[in-house]
Amino acid sequence: MSEALSAPLAGRGAPAVPHPGPPMIGMAGVTKTFKRRDGGTHLALDTIDLDVAPGEFVSILGPSGCGKSTLLYIVGGFVAPSGGKVTVSGDPVTGPGPDRGPVFQEFALFPWKTVLGNVAYGLREGGLSRRDAEARAGELIERVGLKGYERFYPQALSGGMKQRVAIARTLAYGPKILLMDEPFGALDAHTRIKLQNQLLELWERDRKTVLFVTHAVDEAVFLSDRVAVMSRQPGRIKEVVAIDLPRPRHRDELLLDRRYQRHVIDLERMIEDPPDLAS
Amino acid sequence: MSRAASRTGAALRPGLPPFLACLALLLAWQIAARFLAVGGVPDALSTFRELPAIIGDREALGEIAASLRRMGAGFGLALLFSVPLGLLMGRSRLVSALVNPLLMVGYPVPKAALMPLIMLWLGVGDAAKILVIVLGVSLPIIYHSRQGARAVEEKLLWSAAAMGMSGPARLARIVLPAALPEILVGCRTGIVLALITMITSEMIARQTGAGNILFNALDMAQYETVYAMILVVSALGIALDVLFERLRSGLTGWAEPIPSPAIAPA
Ligand SMILES: Nc1ncnc2c1ncn2[C@@H]1O[C@H](COP(=O)(O)OP(=O)(O)OP(=O)(O)O)[C@@H](O)[C@H]1O
Ligand SMILES: [Mg+2]
Repeated sequence: MSEALSAPLAGRGAPAVPHPGPPMIGMAGVTKTFKRRDGGTHLALDTIDLDVAPGEFVSILGPSGCGKSTLLYIVGGFVAPSGGKVTVSGDPVTGPGPDRGPVFQEFALFPWKTVLGNVAYGLREGGLSRRDAEARAGELIERVGLKGYERFYPQALSGGMKQRVAIARTLAYGPKILLMDEPFGALDAHTRIKLQNQLLELWERDRKTVLFVTHAVDEAVFLSDRVAVMSRQPGRIKEVVAIDLPRPRHRDELLLDRRYQRHVIDLERMIEDPPDLAS
Repeated sequence: MSRAASRTGAALRPGLPPFLACLALLLAWQIAARFLAVGGVPDALSTFRELPAIIGDREALGEIAASLRRMGAGFGLALLFSVPLGLLMGRSRLVSALVNPLLMVGYPVPKAALMPLIMLWLGVGDAAKILVIVLGVSLPIIYHSRQGARAVEEKLLWSAAAMGMSGPARLARIVLPAALPEILVGCRTGIVLALITMITSEMIARQTGAGNILFNALDMAQYETVYAMILVVSALGIALDVLFERLRSGLTGWAEPIPSPAIAPA
């Protein structure tokens, strides 16, 4: 193994990019316990502290069952934490709101609406007239590469197409924060790479704050400014790694980049550690 | 040779097999009635000969129309409260816990058996009959609405909540459409039950309606009329079912796994 690959990472444990004012997302001492069937309790999240700066792309990386989705649902306001506090721009989160747009792994498209109807839904909800909403939705559908599918129902779409509709539907109503839960987890390798590129392009254009859940190391490194690595039982943030790779990022260049490779190998080792040796 | 024969078979018009099945049934009826000669069973031909007397008779048609009106009213009223109640039960444990015991008690009761009691309060008129139909129809609609609402994916509701939609609005605009295919399964059962309860109610409160004609004819041993009336009621049932199926595929075409670009987005 080369020296460069085994050398410790410079960016490890790096704080959020310094910025004035409160973080876009603030998680302070967030815990979540679930009641078990046998009457006991299960600690799914244990004192999570993580701040996300405005315009930052942060991934949460961890093995299955470590509480990644639960944490995202708490930030979204869909699930209440058992302890701790979540703030958005300094204001405490009390429930869901259009400032935080979720993209679920299960797509969660409205099956009785067409592609156009789905993407326009949040805009209509926000009070836009049907004509304006559909015009704006049409632009977004084109941007995610689904022009011509406006009148299709979700049933008739492939997984990758459904996920793009879901992303367009959330982007449409203009949330300042995107909460993405393994959005590409169910896709084949080819579609996955295509959508990663598309997401990066969209993000580099309007720099929303993104909290991105994944268990794919290469995906986290390719997309993120920082990666929060979680361990399981209880769900804890083990380490936060800053990804010091220049943007705009191009996949073929990155794959050959030593720093990229180092991050991937290092993060892979970090998740592989058995939980009892981790902390 | 056999391949050519099966080709012709595949080329049959879709309506033909059911038509042939009906024909075979009528033939069996005709033969059985002729050769077994059970008392009170007219043969198919004389039953059909009786049909024009019912269909051509203004009074009889008026009675049938009155029956259908009550059935429509009962079904509509049941729909009006059963769907919201079922959806609420499906989404709220409290409502479900409160209402479920009542439904469990009501479930095995033959609704038509309540008719005499209801007549004591409401008389023999339309109100009593409509109420019995409401009772007969509502349980399957409540049940299926509840099942449909329970099965709604939580993330659909979360997605709507993130767009700023309030709780009650989500029940009407997310849970209702998402559960619609299941609700319509309940409605289909409901329509058949409405028809059955309609006839039964008119048997108990003899005054007007298709059931009244049927049972009067039975009392007077006019068996051709009895059987012709049964045919008319069956035909009504089939027609309602076909109409409902049309409505259903129009409303929930999105749930079928083919693109239907003909339906405009709403
Ligand atoms: N509603 C719930 N009731 C009880 N336990 C739950 C509930 N939701 C999650 N859990 C438990 O909390 C833990 C974390 O679940 P979560 O879905 O957040 O994991 P995850 O990291 O998203 O996993 P995956 O990568 O498989 O999606 C798991 O052990 C899970 O069993
Ligand atoms: Mg998950």
